[in-house]
Amino acid sequence: MNKAAFTAAALAVILLIVLIQAYLFDTVLGAVLDGQRSQLAGALAVSAALTAVALYLAFKAPGLDGRR
Amino acid sequence: MAGWKTLFPVDLAEESRLSRREFARFLALVSAGFTGGIGYLMARKRPLDGAPDPASARPLDLEVCRAEDVAPGNSLLFTYRDPQDRCVLIHTPGGDWRAYRQTCTHLGCAVRWDGKGLECPCHNGYFEVEQGFPIQGPPTRPLSRLRVEVEADGRVWVRGDLPKPATGSLA
Repeated sequence: MNKAAFTAAALAVILLIVLIQAYLFDTVLGAVLDGQRSQLAGALAVSAALTAVALYLAFKAPGLDGRR
Repeated sequence: MAGWKTLFPVDLAEESRLSRREFARFLALVSAGFTGGIGYLMARKRPLDGAPDPASARPLDLEVCRAEDVAPGNSLLFTYRDPQDRCVLIHTPGGDWRAYRQTCTHLGCAVRWDGKGLECPCHNGYFEVEQGFPIQGPPTRPLSRLRVEVEADGRVWVRGDLPKPATGSLA
């Protein structure tokens, strides 16, 4: 019986998204501690978009399942 | 003795296996956690952003005290743009005036003047007073500095933020 497996490309995309999120959060935290808060809205929008992509790939993208 | 294995035939090797999709779901939730963190920062710090609430916002020019109120070597705590924006006004032993936000650039603890520099008690960070550069401990970025002006009549004003100095200019 073939079992569905997540493709390596999709996993790589999600890993990249998490790395970007970590960098983004570190940058935003530094900016907030510096008293600069004007970037927060944009950073939140970008972060939410990246999370939406990651959640879609992880939960709702059946086409990314290959055959093992 | 091992009758439970007959009753519960679980393949432990298969049980501990983590599929790519499960790992991807975990990573996606981590990503959502970062988004939530940024959202928390935005929700918590929103009152400091500009002047969204005319009832509580203060002008950028703030009279903090009179020069004779703070002797050389002493400091005075004040709030600037709103009650959460805690700052410290310092009359240095050399007679200069400096004002910094109290927020440590490491993890946000409140720094305090110790007579020579600004120390962060949380992780033993230490900042020099001239430009707010970190000289000890985990902080790597200078403190947020405010512009101070002392008028001829002795009133001490804070008039907005100063740009961050370049990191390499300490030496």
